[in-house]
Amino acid sequence: MSMLYVLIPLAVVLLAIAVFALLWAIKHGQFDDLETHGWSVVLDDDQKPPPAVVDARSDAEEKEVR
Amino acid sequence: MTVKARSCFHCGQPVPPVCNLSVEVQGQLQAVCCSGCEAVANLILKSGQASYYQFRTETALRPALEDLSIEDAWKRYDERHSLWGSPLKDGRNELLLQVEGIRCAACAWLIRSQLEAREGIDQVQVDVATGFVRINWQPAKLRLSRIAGILAGVGYRPHLPLASAESMGRQHERRDALKRLGVAGLGMMQVMMYAAGLYAGDAMGISEGFERFLQWISLIVTTPVLLYSGRGFYTSAWRSLSHRRIGMDVPVALAISIAFIMSCSNFLTGNGHVYFDSVVMFIFFLSLGRYAELVIRHRNLQTGLALARLLPEWAELVRNGQSEQVPAIDLRIADRVRVRAGQTFPADGLVIKGSTDADEALLTGESRPVKKHPGDAVIAGSINRAQAVEIEVSRDPDDSTVSVMGRMLLKSQTHRSRYAQLSERYAGWFVAVVLTVAVLTALWWLKHDMEMLLPAILAVLVISCPCALSLATPAAIASAGRALLEQGLLLTRSEALEILGSIDTIVFDKTGTLTSGSPTVVNTVLNPDRNGYETDDVLRIAALLETDSSHPVAKAFADIGVNREEVADLVIHDNGVEGRVGGKNYRLGNAAFTHVNVTDLMGGYGRLWLVDQAGWIARFDLDDGLRESAGETMDFLRSRGLDLVILSGDHPQAVASVASRTGIEIWYAEQTPGMKMEFIESLQANGKKVLMIGDGVNDAPVLSMANISMTVSGASELANSTADFIITGTSLKYIEYILLAGDRTRSVIRQNLAWALAYNLCAVPFAAAGMIVPWMAALGMSLSSLLVVLNSGRLARKKSPVIPRAQAGLVTP
Repeated sequence: MSMLYVLIPLAVVLLAIAVFALLWAIKHGQFDDLETHGWSVVLDDDQKPPPAVVDARSDAEEKEVR
Repeated sequence: MTVKARSCFHCGQPVPPVCNLSVEVQGQLQAVCCSGCEAVANLILKSGQASYYQFRTETALRPALEDLSIEDAWKRYDERHSLWGSPLKDGRNELLLQVEGIRCAACAWLIRSQLEAREGIDQVQVDVATGFVRINWQPAKLRLSRIAGILAGVGYRPHLPLASAESMGRQHERRDALKRLGVAGLGMMQVMMYAAGLYAGDAMGISEGFERFLQWISLIVTTPVLLYSGRGFYTSAWRSLSHRRIGMDVPVALAISIAFIMSCSNFLTGNGHVYFDSVVMFIFFLSLGRYAELVIRHRNLQTGLALARLLPEWAELVRNGQSEQVPAIDLRIADRVRVRAGQTFPADGLVIKGSTDADEALLTGESRPVKKHPGDAVIAGSINRAQAVEIEVSRDPDDSTVSVMGRMLLKSQTHRSRYAQLSERYAGWFVAVVLTVAVLTALWWLKHDMEMLLPAILAVLVISCPCALSLATPAAIASAGRALLEQGLLLTRSEALEILGSIDTIVFDKTGTLTSGSPTVVNTVLNPDRNGYETDDVLRIAALLETDSSHPVAKAFADIGVNREEVADLVIHDNGVEGRVGGKNYRLGNAAFTHVNVTDLMGGYGRLWLVDQAGWIARFDLDDGLRESAGETMDFLRSRGLDLVILSGDHPQAVASVASRTGIEIWYAEQTPGMKMEFIESLQANGKKVLMIGDGVNDAPVLSMANISMTVSGASELANSTADFIITGTSLKYIEYILLAGDRTRSVIRQNLAWALAYNLCAVPFAAAGMIVPWMAALGMSLSSLLVVLNSGRLARKKSPVIPRAQAGLVTP
């Protein structure tokens, strides 16, 4: 049982680390948006629009606006 | 002509029967409703981002035609450094834009991957909840207007960064509250764990050294929680005391202090119990409540932003024959402003040059454009439909009709928040009763048995911890809210579900609430005596003739793709249009205009006739169609004994037509927002509880006046921000579903409250009598809270959807 005299203070140190981690995370906006980032797993970030489309779109818009 | 109901692949709205546009998705043709949706969908598909359609949970915003030219409109902001956002180091700026149309996580992904692929944009953050997009970019490499263009290209509408400083301040406040909550939560978990050891020690025996050790640790963890998370309660208690009032936080601060000081003194003297766990638990649950309140308050502030967005951000000021762009907020009385066709009037004023039609539908509910000649008054926020005019500003922007409406809105919101105050007062009373019981217990034990004094007091305090009581309502509502969300129904004010059952009157706003809002061709009749014309031909001719018309009926033909060059000599008259198509002259208009010899009796938008010199060729029957399952829903509402009322700003004929089709007997036409508010107030003065269902901006103050409000699909953002329920689908059947969900929720809340009260009433006397040791109290309290949560969970259990959601996603193979 005397092991608890070591383990519990250790847990308190871990708690302090957890609190600082939480404060850091909140300060850096990790909790500002809880929705989007879960989706980045299923939505593929590597699919960048090919350059051709990027250029073509300006023309398309011009045409649309006439 | 057979009409098959299809919904647009991009925006999910019904595709007009005469529209033939489509996009190719994975080898299949999917219908879209307009050229705007077609352009946006094509761009998304060509960029290889088809998975947006697969993963999105909400349909997209229907792009307006002016969105596609937004890049040109923004070009004049390119050189305004103040609009580039706050400068960071090495030539980068952080821009905060509010963007309309962000509805789900897939939107955020789409925006991020479109923007981040561009040279000059480093990082993009999208906040789905508030619609803010934070862009880290380099103005040297990219124009501001390009960013706007990219956003508009994929179907989102950016707004100028109006109040970035204010929104940063709010973000700060929210993060602060979250920090306090998080610290209290982590602290609570730890201290509860030590408390479990101490309570177990009470029951089974514990070595003295170990007990003191656990108390030490509890003290070490509790003190920072009290100082950091509890600080807010002390400052607010002190503030109210210094104003000689007893605020809600006074008993809170008192309870925390008593428990903490008592525990400390017990700890120092080395006898008796410590109650650090009660201290942190109180702080945590109260912080949780405060955080929820903060989120709601911020949502209300958002309303102000939505109002501001109705007005254009810039105005074209005319001075000595020269015109220049100035911020609309700087306009002053007697300034001359030019407003071009299609633009929004930036201020209230008088027309001094030119005449036009103004669309005031959003503000007055009047669906037809109003003629404006020199000397007529125009209101800020209405849209110039016909041609450029010059106006003289007659009111400062702060006093304009829209701003006054904003203040009205604020007033009715404060009026409504009384409910919230009421529940706070109950909480205060509850704390007061608990404290009184604790004091009485203390007095009794002081006389009889000093040994039992503190354990009894603490048993009272812990066992009566209002956890189960305070969880009873929110837990049930959270579960019900989740179930509603699965049906596409957004619950934005939680008390609304509770009071839903007391509703006895439902007030509808006709325009767009009961009807689908825009005229459609419901029937095309060809003249049997005329050969050589097919239905498609006459629709195409009609669409060509209506190309330049801004009359509402022109919308019925707007979705037929036609080539503007095929029509010549277009003349727009009051009651119709004429022009030359394929070398022949045609006229399109009502019976009088086209000289067709019939008596026209049809209500609504009436009939249009297409004629040439030889006589009539075709007849188009137009109407503002009722929303899906309007009839059934009205029957259901009547069967619940609810009074149904239509309160509309529209013309009497239009309202009468809708009233007779839905079977609603009480209706009022030509109502201004002020009159609507008075009507609702008089209903409420007679003890009626009113549910208001609306959609227009003019309804916003009225919506927040009513006891409960709902907006239906297609509602303006402002109306949405004041509504308690937002229905994202098009069917009125959702109203029925919400009412039934309200019934279920209320019965669960009643069960929860009954349980929590019964538990407290039974347990407190035993605790005061010293028959319950604190660890039993803690266990009882946790179990009773658990029971409440489990009971509430029943509400979220999946039920088959009432109405299948509009099919808008990709069909996965």
